[in-house]
Amino acid sequence: MGVKVFLKASFTEFQAPALVASSYLDDLEGFWARRMHSKRELEIAGQEIARAKSYYQFNAQRVDTLEAEVRRLEAILDLPSRREYRYEVARVIRRDLSAWWQHLILRKGRDYGIPEGAAVVFAGGVVGRVVEVNAFTSRVELISSPNFRMAAQFEGDPRPVVYEGLPQSGFGDPVGRVSDAAQDLVATTQEPLQLVSTHLGGTFPAGLAIGRVSWLEPGSSGIFQTGEVILDRDLLSLHEVAVLIPLNSQQSDNNVP
Amino acid sequence: MSQYDVHRGDNPRTLFLLWIVLAATMVLLVGLGWRQLIASSKYEEVEKRQTERRILMPGPRGNIYDRKGNLLVGNRAHYSAVVYLDDLRPEFRQEYSEIIRAERAALRAAYEATPEKERPKKLPLPNYSELQWVARENVIQRYVDEINRITGRDDTLATNRIIRHFNEQLLLPLPLVEDLKEDQYARLVEQVPVDSPIKVHTGAVRYYPHHSVAAHLLGYVQWDDPDLDDLPSGGIKTFFFKKQIGKTGLERSFDELLSGTTGTEIWRVDPLGFQDSRLEMMAPVQGDDLITSIDLDLQRTAEIALGDRKGAAIAVDVKTGEVLAMASHPAYDLNDLSPFIPRNTFDAINEQGAWLNRAAQLSYPPGSTFKILTTIAGMRAGTIQPDVRHQCQGVHRVGNRIFRCHARHGHGEVDTATAIAASCNVYYYQEGLRMGIDAISAEAERFGLHQQTGIELPFETRRLVVPGRSWKREHIGAGWVPGDTANTAIGQGFLLVTPLQMATFMASVARGETRTQPTLLALSAEEAQRVDHGGEPIGLDQLQWEQLWEGMEQTVGPNGTGRLVQVDGLRIAGKTGTADFRAHGQSVNLAWFIGCAPVEDPQIAVAVMVEGSTAADRFHGGSTAGPVAKDLFLEFIEQYPERAGFSGVR
Repeated sequence: MGVKVFLKASFTEFQAPALVASSYLDDLEGFWARRMHSKRELEIAGQEIARAKSYYQFNAQRVDTLEAEVRRLEAILDLPSRREYRYEVARVIRRDLSAWWQHLILRKGRDYGIPEGAAVVFAGGVVGRVVEVNAFTSRVELISSPNFRMAAQFEGDPRPVVYEGLPQSGFGDPVGRVSDAAQDLVATTQEPLQLVSTHLGGTFPAGLAIGRVSWLEPGSSGIFQTGEVILDRDLLSLHEVAVLIPLNSQQSDNNVP
Repeated sequence: MSQYDVHRGDNPRTLFLLWIVLAATMVLLVGLGWRQLIASSKYEEVEKRQTERRILMPGPRGNIYDRKGNLLVGNRAHYSAVVYLDDLRPEFRQEYSEIIRAERAALRAAYEATPEKERPKKLPLPNYSELQWVARENVIQRYVDEINRITGRDDTLATNRIIRHFNEQLLLPLPLVEDLKEDQYARLVEQVPVDSPIKVHTGAVRYYPHHSVAAHLLGYVQWDDPDLDDLPSGGIKTFFFKKQIGKTGLERSFDELLSGTTGTEIWRVDPLGFQDSRLEMMAPVQGDDLITSIDLDLQRTAEIALGDRKGAAIAVDVKTGEVLAMASHPAYDLNDLSPFIPRNTFDAINEQGAWLNRAAQLSYPPGSTFKILTTIAGMRAGTIQPDVRHQCQGVHRVGNRIFRCHARHGHGEVDTATAIAASCNVYYYQEGLRMGIDAISAEAERFGLHQQTGIELPFETRRLVVPGRSWKREHIGAGWVPGDTANTAIGQGFLLVTPLQMATFMASVARGETRTQPTLLALSAEEAQRVDHGGEPIGLDQLQWEQLWEGMEQTVGPNGTGRLVQVDGLRIAGKTGTADFRAHGQSVNLAWFIGCAPVEDPQIAVAVMVEGSTAADRFHGGSTAGPVAKDLFLEFIEQYPERAGFSGVR
């Protein structure tokens, strides 16, 4: 058992520099590819970037204002301010996608303090969970992977349900499955239900988007429903993600799958 | 003779051998054919019995709703962590071999340490059977510890439970931890690997969104074994999950309707009895829903109005007999009884005397509310004439006994309407004695006060007493005396009725009939039109009828005993009552109010009974039970303004 683990870790660590170097080469290739553009193209791209930058600056200011407002309200209500996570943005250096497992390799590992079991998110919601941390890389189990499972809830409904990844067909959007949904929930193609994360499981903050559920049907228990979850199509082509590192180390569990 | 025997085909010995071989082959072929063609079904059955197992999965129970579609009883998720023992077999084997190795080493060391003279001849052998259980327990406890680590619980699993599961329910998952909270469930879902033998199982248990509201009426469920009699024959060994059956209340009365259809799985098992592959599956189906006649708003009002006091409050639809509210206090939170009744909860409810439904399972003397019936009996017997009047001096002598009125100095001269409104005992002592007990008990029986109402609730009390001469002789062993009649006339003495009976009695009077069939089922408009309560018209003439109603309306008038029940704009007729009752060895007060409204066309009848807990509680019908009834009338106006005659007012 120990030999197997040692061999696996050694192989991963041996392979990691090659993956990291390859990703830097990719970045370099991208840089030179952009250098080949004409000045006019670069000007237009620069303008686009400037626009995006001002848009993000505006959003950042708005977030700052909202955070200040939250702090003010917390002070009025005498609530303790809780910042549970810090963000570590990491580059995706490899996607290992098959029907049976779906992994991402990130270009940050122990060197950035990434712990096992940490939640990984992107602008569209939940990406997955860190399942292996190496010296300079870490492996993320994607939410579309059949080995991934998390507690979730439907937006506006506090009752927890189970979200699980499924073997992927390779065509269309990635999908997952939701189970243990209460009988009174109705999802239709016209009015799909939004599945979001819940803080109950201790890994993910509440309210991060997981996917859309457009149908639910009675499960084998005769009372709870199961349904298909359509995940974000960008999930399988991500370049950059954020790892949520719990500020309170007690909250991170090292024994996650 | 040549040197070698020549083989001849007609050698008798060879032929004999040939026939023997042929005969033996024939026997074999016939035997084979018989087994393959004729006895095959028998062998198939034997094979089936040996290799197939059936699992029964009871269907979830149906929901219970009030008449407006509000959920009264539903199902909630019940989370548990389970393990299929089949998945643990490799670990059992490994643990067992390690334990055996250690035990052998320990035995050898002990053997070698024993002086040679005292040594047994052979090295003692380990107790293999016992160690096998130890190995299994160790493995299972490791998983329980893992669950405890994740959830922060501190559970253990008793050895005898493991043994019982192995012996009786091998094919079913073994529950390691039950009744997980939502956050514990969520943590397990996220932190237990998908391929771990630990499975997070979600079942359904009863859920009561309104907690203690209508607790006695709705009832609770208990776990029981499913009925195996209806299973197809074939002798397949059957495993089952326990099902929930109604123990009290509507859960019991409508158990068949609410119970779901049991699902079935047929599994092929290996020679050790562990599951191999699933051959058939039929999913369980949820039971049917039950729509009750209860109005949640009225029910809540009754519960709030009763508060912490002991008692019952009932509201009945006068026309249809549908019970709109039936509250009994003290009550209990039904959620505390689901999925199991903890011992301390049971004891606490027992201590409070809260298990019984005071509306239908306990009987009480009706006190002065019975005077309505005495009045009707006297009018029908011809003793209470329109011009009858009695002088109330506050006391009345019957034989050697002095019978008192609640008005110490008397009511003066009272007619029938005033006697009802002021609840004059002296008037009824005299009228009761004039008409006699036979007329009173006959009238009470005509209104069905000696019988159960037949409402769809289990355990409706049979301890209902409408006393008469023969009853006293039979049950007390003494003759009837005039004092008994005087007592009965004012609703005391041996009389015992339930609050539910008094509510239906009031509804009957409100309709001018003698019977009301109460129901807890919501009736459709067509069914409501077809309701047959099974009674007869009361049989009073117009003048008698008006006198009776005048008295009942004056009761809730400015000078009546029920003046606290008055509601602006709503004409209410009723009767208060205050009775003495012995409970738990002490004499306590009972406060009663029965009434109906609106007088013009009665729609709702109510009966409220509040029971004193100690001798020090001084309860009175008008001041204690009356306000509860008033709240019910006000809520009725709020919920059914048109029926209360308030259309266009809101």
